[in-house]
Amino acid sequence: MLVGAFAVAHTPQLLIRPETEDRDLVLRVHAAMGRVKRRLEELRPDAIAIVAGDHVEAFFLNAVPALAVYVGRECEGTFGPYRYRLDIHEPLARAVVEQGIERGFDLLYTQDAPLDYAFYVPLHFVMPEPARPIVPLHVNVYLPPQPTPARCHAWGAALGEILRARPERVALIASGGMSHFPGTDRYASPEFDYDRGLLDLLREGRGRELARVTGEELDKRGNIELRTWITLLGAVGDARADVYCYEPSWHHGNAVVEWPIPGS
Amino acid sequence: MSADAHYRFPPSAAYPLNRCLYALKSDRAFIDRFLADPVAATAEMGLDEGERADLRRMDRDALVARGAHPYLVFMAGLRLKMAAEPSTLEYF
Repeated sequence: MLVGAFAVAHTPQLLIRPETEDRDLVLRVHAAMGRVKRRLEELRPDAIAIVAGDHVEAFFLNAVPALAVYVGRECEGTFGPYRYRLDIHEPLARAVVEQGIERGFDLLYTQDAPLDYAFYVPLHFVMPEPARPIVPLHVNVYLPPQPTPARCHAWGAALGEILRARPERVALIASGGMSHFPGTDRYASPEFDYDRGLLDLLREGRGRELARVTGEELDKRGNIELRTWITLLGAVGDARADVYCYEPSWHHGNAVVEWPIPGS
Repeated sequence: MSADAHYRFPPSAAYPLNRCLYALKSDRAFIDRFLADPVAATAEMGLDEGERADLRRMDRDALVARGAHPYLVFMAGLRLKMAAEPSTLEYF
């Protein structure tokens, strides 16, 4: 069953802070992520399914999957001095890939790919104690052509049905966003007003409208990573967002959001 | 995706360049070789002289114009900074 749903920023400057980053802002985002950790401890999930966009780490140009599922017993990765190894909830991961393919989603699966920091940064801060096994779910956000928002939403709807039919208590986390333009001349000028409009829409439970956004618009608005959120929105339907924080830095719209699941 | 998108289809002609940026982003041993001797490190990646010169300067605009993926340029630069100046960073 699906017991919780969250979106969490993953910008690496939250984990490793250069002098260019406002320390108080970073700590405020940490505090919001601490709320997610406490909520997860209340919700007592058996597993955490986390949707993130690989940053050309596991999947370089040798193979570019639109959607992928990690189905091994564990996964690991590195970022700077951080070495992380996380257990995978293998029965749940296998059910997601098998049932996802039955439902018409041609998922890539991996038992070996390294785990990008987009998965690790949120989990570093929100993993409840004791730690839960995870199901990493990749959505291609950085290597065009990416899956359309409509496809991400449809996959999320199928994923939500799969998770709700399972015996395990599952929390779903979308990692990423909001507006940022790494490596471009827009890096210092994200679209914060666009983000705020999106958050207002999500507070009103209108997340399914994002299925109609185009890939071009996401690119233009610095929100290519919103595909992970849109996947989650397919799973949570018309749930209303509780925005824990929106902290715009000089280059990044950092948001932490919960969609409370009725009955959880 | 339009031709003026921030993130565009990576041209295959730029594959060696993107592979080198990927190594700078994700391969600590290569990062260390690059920091020690960027001429030798880039020579092993099959790049032409112009690409190697732009890489040594980490000239973002020039690299992207050659087909480099902007995110790879960004994170390669950040990882080089992390490796070269670890004491200026706060780890959580």
